[in-house]
Amino acid sequence: MSQTYRLASGGRIDRSKVLNFTFNGKTYQGYAGDTLAAALLANGVDIVGRSFKYSRPRGIIAAGTEEPNAILQIGASEATQIPNVRATQQALYAGLVATSTNGWPNVNNDMMGIIGKVGGSMMPPGFYYKTFMYPKSFWMTYEKYIRKAAGLGRAPLQNDPDSYDYMNQHCDVLIVGAGPAGLAAALAAARSGARVILADEQEEFGGTLLDSRETLDGKPAADWVSAVVAELESLPEVTLLPRSTVNGYHDHNFLTIHERLTDHLGDRAPIGQVRQRVHRVRANRVVLAAGAHERPLVYGNNDLPGNMLAGAVSTYVRRYGVAPGRKLVLSTNNDHAYRAALDWHDAGLQVVAIADARHNPRGSLVEEARAKGIRILTSSAVIEAKGSKHVTGARVAAIDVQAHKVTSPGETLDCDLIATSGGYSPVVHLASHLGGRPVWREDILGFVPGDAPQKRVCVGGVNGVYALGDVIADGFEGGVRAATEAGFKASVGTLPKTLARKEEATVALFQVPHDKGTARAPKQFVDQQNDVTAAAIELATREGFESVEHVKRYTALGFGTDQGKLGNINGLAIAARSLGIGIPEMGTTMFRPNYTPVTFGAVAGRHCGHLFEPVRFTALHAWHIKNGAEFEDVGQWKRPWYFPKPGEDIHTAVARECKAVRDSVGLLDASTLGKIDIQGPDAREFLNRIYSNAWTKLDVGKARYGLMCKEDGMVFDDGVTACVGDNHFIMTTTTGGAARVLQWLELYHQTEWPEMKVYFTSVTDHWATMTLSGPNSRKLLAEVSDIDLDKDGFPFMSWKEGLVGGVPARVFRISFTGELSYEINVQANYAMGVLEQVVEAGKKYNLTPYGTETMHVLRAEKGFIIVGQDTDGSMTPDDLNMSWCVGRNKAFSWIGLRGMNREDTTRDNRKQLVGLKPVDPNVWLPEGAQLVFDPKQPIPMDMVGHVTSSYAANSLGYSFAMGVVKGGLKRMGERVYSPQADGSVIEAEIVSSVFFDPKGERQNV
Amino acid sequence: MSAINVFQQNPGPEAKAQSPLHHADLASLVGKGRKNAGVTLREKKFLGHLTLRGDGHDQAFAGGVHKALGLELPVALTVVANSEMSLQWVGPDEWLLIVPGGQEFAVEQKLRDALDGQHIQVVNVTGGQTLLELRGPNVRDVLMKSTSYDVHPNNFPVGKAVGTVFAKSQLVIRRTAEDTWELVIRRSFSDYWWLWLQDASAEYGLAIEA
Repeated sequence: MSQTYRLASGGRIDRSKVLNFTFNGKTYQGYAGDTLAAALLANGVDIVGRSFKYSRPRGIIAAGTEEPNAILQIGASEATQIPNVRATQQALYAGLVATSTNGWPNVNNDMMGIIGKVGGSMMPPGFYYKTFMYPKSFWMTYEKYIRKAAGLGRAPLQNDPDSYDYMNQHCDVLIVGAGPAGLAAALAAARSGARVILADEQEEFGGTLLDSRETLDGKPAADWVSAVVAELESLPEVTLLPRSTVNGYHDHNFLTIHERLTDHLGDRAPIGQVRQRVHRVRANRVVLAAGAHERPLVYGNNDLPGNMLAGAVSTYVRRYGVAPGRKLVLSTNNDHAYRAALDWHDAGLQVVAIADARHNPRGSLVEEARAKGIRILTSSAVIEAKGSKHVTGARVAAIDVQAHKVTSPGETLDCDLIATSGGYSPVVHLASHLGGRPVWREDILGFVPGDAPQKRVCVGGVNGVYALGDVIADGFEGGVRAATEAGFKASVGTLPKTLARKEEATVALFQVPHDKGTARAPKQFVDQQNDVTAAAIELATREGFESVEHVKRYTALGFGTDQGKLGNINGLAIAARSLGIGIPEMGTTMFRPNYTPVTFGAVAGRHCGHLFEPVRFTALHAWHIKNGAEFEDVGQWKRPWYFPKPGEDIHTAVARECKAVRDSVGLLDASTLGKIDIQGPDAREFLNRIYSNAWTKLDVGKARYGLMCKEDGMVFDDGVTACVGDNHFIMTTTTGGAARVLQWLELYHQTEWPEMKVYFTSVTDHWATMTLSGPNSRKLLAEVSDIDLDKDGFPFMSWKEGLVGGVPARVFRISFTGELSYEINVQANYAMGVLEQVVEAGKKYNLTPYGTETMHVLRAEKGFIIVGQDTDGSMTPDDLNMSWCVGRNKAFSWIGLRGMNREDTTRDNRKQLVGLKPVDPNVWLPEGAQLVFDPKQPIPMDMVGHVTSSYAANSLGYSFAMGVVKGGLKRMGERVYSPQADGSVIEAEIVSSVFFDPKGERQNV
Repeated sequence: MSAINVFQQNPGPEAKAQSPLHHADLASLVGKGRKNAGVTLREKKFLGHLTLRGDGHDQAFAGGVHKALGLELPVALTVVANSEMSLQWVGPDEWLLIVPGGQEFAVEQKLRDALDGQHIQVVNVTGGQTLLELRGPNVRDVLMKSTSYDVHPNNFPVGKAVGTVFAKSQLVIRRTAEDTWELVIRRSFSDYWWLWLQDASAEYGLAIEA
């Protein structure tokens, strides 16, 4: 029979919309408007999982975010699996597939359950520390087994088909929670014209008002909710976010909200819709109206399915039309919980008895229950639930709260549902994310948010205000205050009238005494998600864990996704009693984001797949693709790495490209190099101070290589800078260093030398750069350019203006290959047209496109460094054997001068850049390999350097490398050795780092 | 040669030219988006872009700029425009001038003449960036997905312009009319922005104009 526990009428569900869903492979039916938990209860499904440590059967306890047990795996397909979903928060949709996450091999017959039952002391607190830490090598084995047996869901093995994103929000007032306090606050703030965001984690706004017995202005409370929501919707500056959990409260009133846009619609988001969204909110003021969680009492077997929070019973009956049982026993220490019994009674169900821990309760609700003939046992409590897989009875006895003693033999009442209420705990999580320590209030027996520097207001339940009329008034006032502080004029409003009720104080009862004492009584659970019992907490205090933080970590109280929502206060109350101190002295643990679990999809947002990272392209990229380039990531750029022809691997392609450059002419896209346009009367002097070498005498029309150092004298960038006018220079930087260098120039200009008249502007993207390199480059360029390329008129290290392919260009005669080279710079919009003409004209010269790999080989043959490959931020120009590039006699000091003249930077045996020539010309030295002088010395060896760049035998006919060696510049001709991981040793000769054309004859033709 | 190299870089209308979003072939997408799309995108390509730097507090500088362009120097975070060109504040000593394509050389010379003797910088950056125009009721939503800057009308009135974080990089946002916005993007990032904007506007519908 379907939905046996569904009431004939009532609830905010749509009975005309039947929804099929499956749980652990079995199909059930529920209604639109149900949560998964409500639908499971309607079908009499009582065991939803097995507990983490003891593997005890567990049922649904709560109706909201505080649920510790009904944490399920959702997903109809592998790709749509979501772990850690609370059934109490998941709206039911057609085709929902849910499975238990705990319970292996299955929830109803669990192997671990037997172990758990047999050994009460099988897993004491500190279990992992005590049992599994030794021998250490076994931990991996244990861990596998424990994780499998415990299980808290699993990640999908396929890509999530849905999309997730972020939305950046700014508002005057953010209100967290849309219960009575939050709605009132929103109304007050929104009417002022402020930008208001109201976020609530539930399917619809209203909070407790959705299942309340209360009336507002004589009408059902839900009517007021509808009216308020309608008014808020009509205001243009209001953003309403249902299904949106405010998960984190960060510095500067930055809060993160996890909105589930389509999780209630189906297994996958409808096409074109975003599944979940993280709102990143910067709020001028925050109103925290997070409410309170009901606290369960801690008694024997209180984890047996059929134990439930009193408020949850009301919620299921009134909001979902579900009776989670037939015969109810209520155990309480306060008036408010009587609503559960009254709601149960009103639904035509049997209330067996109410056990009230107080001596003589006389509050309005108590009297109402009495008047209805409900049996009330005073000075009593349920001390133990009876049953094996579900509650079959409740043992009720008289108790002495002060003495923590059972004072009567009691009786066992026949029932299948025990509702429990130990008072209310304000939801202080968000309020303490930034460190505001909650403060204990004895009058409400709960922690409320402490003072905090954030611009926030706490209203309603989170503030310890519980009576409905007071809650609404507190919320409204908080909304007015927040809007006013945000600079808006809030008006006075009329608040709805509530029924006045006499309410008596709650008695402080957390753990219910048992006649056997805590250690021998049936297990009394404090934290059901982490299987922490009262006995475990007592044991922890006996073993010397006295700080609340230590108790938490030793027992796992409040760990994981639970974050102590139900168990925290009970746990520390038990620890306090055990230690003989008060709760305020015990204190509470703090909370951190996130309040509830957030999916990885929502964390990633759109920053995944092809949008994971910006990819930068040059104006010539399409040509590279067309010509079969393989690409290399250089910073965010995609640069052609090499251009393989059919059948070529990287080695043959690079060998061919190298040969073409040395023999005829090659083409490189050098557009990614940083380019900075520098203008001003002090531009030249600025270069003198920024570069290690001198710039005073560089004529217009000339270019010069420069090294840039940090203050410590270490090289951090290099490049060629050309003088294009007396007060006008074009600087080039490394590809990866472009942004860094521009910032560096601005930093020094703005902070150290603001009096210098000079401006810098990046032109990296404006100019596209094509490099023609090789002995035939002049002939080729002459065919497409009107520039006079005469070797004397246009010598090495100079530049000319003219047309290339009909497009105005600046052509620089500089070389990174050691060959005759021309770098053609044209405005990027025209680069493709120029390239096509160059390529066409280049056919007869075997013009060969080459990539970064060939560039690296060719420059290494010439001993040209690559900053970042041959340097690592610890090398001075001297270390690089580049003293020729240091202007020691410049008039004004310059960056790095002081640093490179320290005792340490001038000593002899610093690691210095040299060439390395393996004795066996066919052996390739791995880059990064360590070098030693004596390979026979015992380990640990004295390491004297490492290989920075290394290339296999190629145009040189032998393999070669660059590397740093201690005192290497004075060790020419000596041997170094590189011991390899496989035991072999590579022997190499220290040589000059210039392997090819040491006199530079090829580039000066 | 003179102190500053001013250089006609534009080969004229005959030369083959490719805008930064050339590879996306936007023309072929015209009319293919959803009807009543929430976002309409257009590349305003081949305009002349000039970076202008100078001392904004110096009356002579402001006067020279006005003389050359007929525009007042815009104050912080704003853009001013006439039918020909727009001038945007970029920083305390930096402005972005956008002129009809092909005029960048002439305008630079005009500026240099008007500002002769002053310490300034004018740099042609035409090839390095482009303008994307976004129009429609959902542009604000797309911007909210992309930038942490507050784009609410209270904070971002028509005529405002900011350089800010956008997705995982940076660009300039300008609001030119009630529901019309412009993004100034760098050439090398143009494909990333194109992919990002398609994705961010997918749920509202994206239409392309050539």
